[in-house]
Amino acid sequence: MFDPVLPVAVGRLDARGRLIEAEARLLELNERAGGNVGAPLAVPQIATIARLAQRLGIAISRNVIAADGEEDLDLWVRAQPEEGAVRIEVSGWRPRPAWQPPAAEPGRDGDFLRSAADWMWETDASLRITFLSIEAGARCGFDSSAMLGQPLTRLLSLAQDEQGNLPILTAVAAQARFDGQKAEIRGTGRMVRLEATPRTDAAGRFAGFVGAAHMLDPPAHPPAIEVPLPLPEAPFGGFPDSFSQRLDRALRGPLGRIIANADSISAQSEGPLKPDYAGYAADIANAGRHLLGLVDDLVDLQAIERPDFATVPEAIDLADVARRAAGLLAVRAAQSNVRIDKPALDEQLPVTGEFRRALQVLVNLIGNAVRYSPPGGMVWIRLERDGAMGCVIIADQGKGIATEDQERIFEKFGRVDPDEQGGSGLGLYIARLLARAMGGDLLVDSAPGMGARFVFMLPCRD
Amino acid sequence: MSDNPVDMRDGATIGAKELLARAAAAETRAQAGLRVAIRDFFLSEDGRLDERTRAALAALLRQLVESVEAEIREHGVRLLTGRGENALAATLAASGLSATDRLARAGLLRDPALMTELIARVRQEALGVALPMQAADDPERPSLINRFVQHPDRLLASSAMAVLIAESRRRGGPDAGQFTQAELPAELHHRLVWWVAAALRERSLAAGDSLPLLDSALSEAAQRSLAAYDEGDRLEAAALRFAAAIDARPHELADLLVESLGDQRIVVFIALLAHALGLSYETARELVLDPAADRLWLALRSLDLPREPIAQIGYALCEADPHRDLESFADTLDAAMTVDAAEARAALEPVRLHPDYRAAMLALRRSERLE
Repeated sequence: MFDPVLPVAVGRLDARGRLIEAEARLLELNERAGGNVGAPLAVPQIATIARLAQRLGIAISRNVIAADGEEDLDLWVRAQPEEGAVRIEVSGWRPRPAWQPPAAEPGRDGDFLRSAADWMWETDASLRITFLSIEAGARCGFDSSAMLGQPLTRLLSLAQDEQGNLPILTAVAAQARFDGQKAEIRGTGRMVRLEATPRTDAAGRFAGFVGAAHMLDPPAHPPAIEVPLPLPEAPFGGFPDSFSQRLDRALRGPLGRIIANADSISAQSEGPLKPDYAGYAADIANAGRHLLGLVDDLVDLQAIERPDFATVPEAIDLADVARRAAGLLAVRAAQSNVRIDKPALDEQLPVTGEFRRALQVLVNLIGNAVRYSPPGGMVWIRLERDGAMGCVIIADQGKGIATEDQERIFEKFGRVDPDEQGGSGLGLYIARLLARAMGGDLLVDSAPGMGARFVFMLPCRD
Repeated sequence: MSDNPVDMRDGATIGAKELLARAAAAETRAQAGLRVAIRDFFLSEDGRLDERTRAALAALLRQLVESVEAEIREHGVRLLTGRGENALAATLAASGLSATDRLARAGLLRDPALMTELIARVRQEALGVALPMQAADDPERPSLINRFVQHPDRLLASSAMAVLIAESRRRGGPDAGQFTQAELPAELHHRLVWWVAAALRERSLAAGDSLPLLDSALSEAAQRSLAAYDEGDRLEAAALRFAAAIDARPHELADLLVESLGDQRIVVFIALLAHALGLSYETARELVLDPAADRLWLALRSLDLPREPIAQIGYALCEADPHRDLESFADTLDAAMTVDAAEARAALEPVRLHPDYRAAMLALRRSERLE
């Protein structure tokens, strides 16, 4: 979620809250806020923590957001009373977007993980298990109760990924969410896929994982249930498939209403309003649209991740699909002052794939390209044949994607910049799954500063 | 949430007769609704449930009744099927009016002991998850309970393990709800089981002549459910046994209390406190959950805790609970530190009395005020 190595700026306040000394970063922040050495600290959030630490006589750590000019800064502040003074350490120093997708809270992440998991687990910072779904053991052939308190590696034998890394350890180092850690439940020969989100303490330190496990193989013998009569309806749950339907039904309507109302407040269609309230309403509408996009993605994901998911092999013209996708995004591109250079009307590239799904992939790719293009930029769509594959190449003039991030963007919830607004982190994951389900693939090549190039390929039809 | 407001009962929209009847009843209902709204408006803000607590309480209550209901119904159905009463079994198995709604309508769920327990449970859980986490300075160092799981003393290790198991069981799996136990104190569980059995009977009254068969199956199922229940399996009981096994020395207690809060183990925190003070879990929980925590500060002082751990505990609780005010805690802290341990113990004496005795004294005092 943030840099593993946080730049720390140290400062000292006297007993009356006046700044005695501070390192450059903190000093500058304080000066921009109108403060000075010898005067009370001018950043109120930090001053409050320092005062509390002094009054209570204990070290206090908190995550605060402080305004710095036009920007909001995300800071980790620790205040420690020392004879007649308070020592403060400020780290983090990350600019914060005006609005963040509401996924930062571990509790909510937990709900999210829970929605699809076979069982749940949690660890402390030393990766010892602090919680396990108790019935998971019986279902998967291990003794849950004997595993509690044990290192996670006692329950699971972790497998390296293609690059020879353990995703879970990389995630500990970066305090980041991970997905796709494969592991064997020791002694059972059964494989699971782990995903988890980190917990962070008030000082910004790693405090453990909240995670989910997905079984990768069906149980050898489905548990026999001896039931004389149809059992009473289960009060909770239901079939996994119905989850997406319920999610869809339960969220789409209310979200639609929230967005519509917030939009009309923001447009002040019912009469004039204080500008900041109109601004808040616009934020609400944007947040709602983000959530609606997430619902779409999740519903889609539920279908695509099923083992029996298949696409319809249709004879399609990739050039035509690309032109249509570009057409769909023309308005958004114009709003962002980005031009889309789409294939000429006479170009053709006959391939096999499902029209609807190919369009979905291209809309996602071109949409991303438009989003990351600088104003006045250009998005190129080119067609190519590469052996038995027909390729569409989408290139933009955005900031590009560093080599080490190029696989991450295809992971579930994978993002290069976790603070970035909008998007669910599912789009490219879904797009690649779709491309592969149609017998093709989705690749990226890009270098930072050079723009991103995505190649979407489908088998040629001769 | 339906976009389609037409009520499609059994595929037919409501008939004219029903509409007329409903319109006639509307005035009475509107009046009744207004009375509830007025009463609601004038309720004192002190002690009112906030929306989150209210929603969590409703969910917990429903889950509690439904898990008891499922157990009794399932076993009752099995018994009846075994006795060849298939039709009766089907009647019992058929879903009808929810037992929660029925018991609530009858006013039974307003039982003060039950509601005290459930409200405390909900508040305890809300406080627990909101506590600021505190990672150890050494990332390799396991959290509090996990260290005890590794302890060479088998009693300590197994009681620590029991806490982890009880907590995992209480929190349930991805499809939580069906497996979690009711986890009420035995007396309350007992009451609830019979209430639910009676509600199930009422729902199946259509059985007519075969009622005696149904009665015997339901009461047998209820008794089985009671026999299988062990209140010693509850998380709170496991945590108390853990605290007793540690039996912390005064100088160890402060660190354990602070660390248990930093691990979000509120139940362990309360159990450690209860054991150290020689109080029941419920009484200690009452001290901890009370947002005006004066009795808690006295309790900590009566254990001769130094200023720093009391400040850390107070800070953590204030951060976790929006009803607590950090500034006023800081004011209280200095005052609390001037109270010595013996004084604090004397002031806490009333809390140590038998809970029923305390309740009786409070009831008398209340009645005096009403006269």
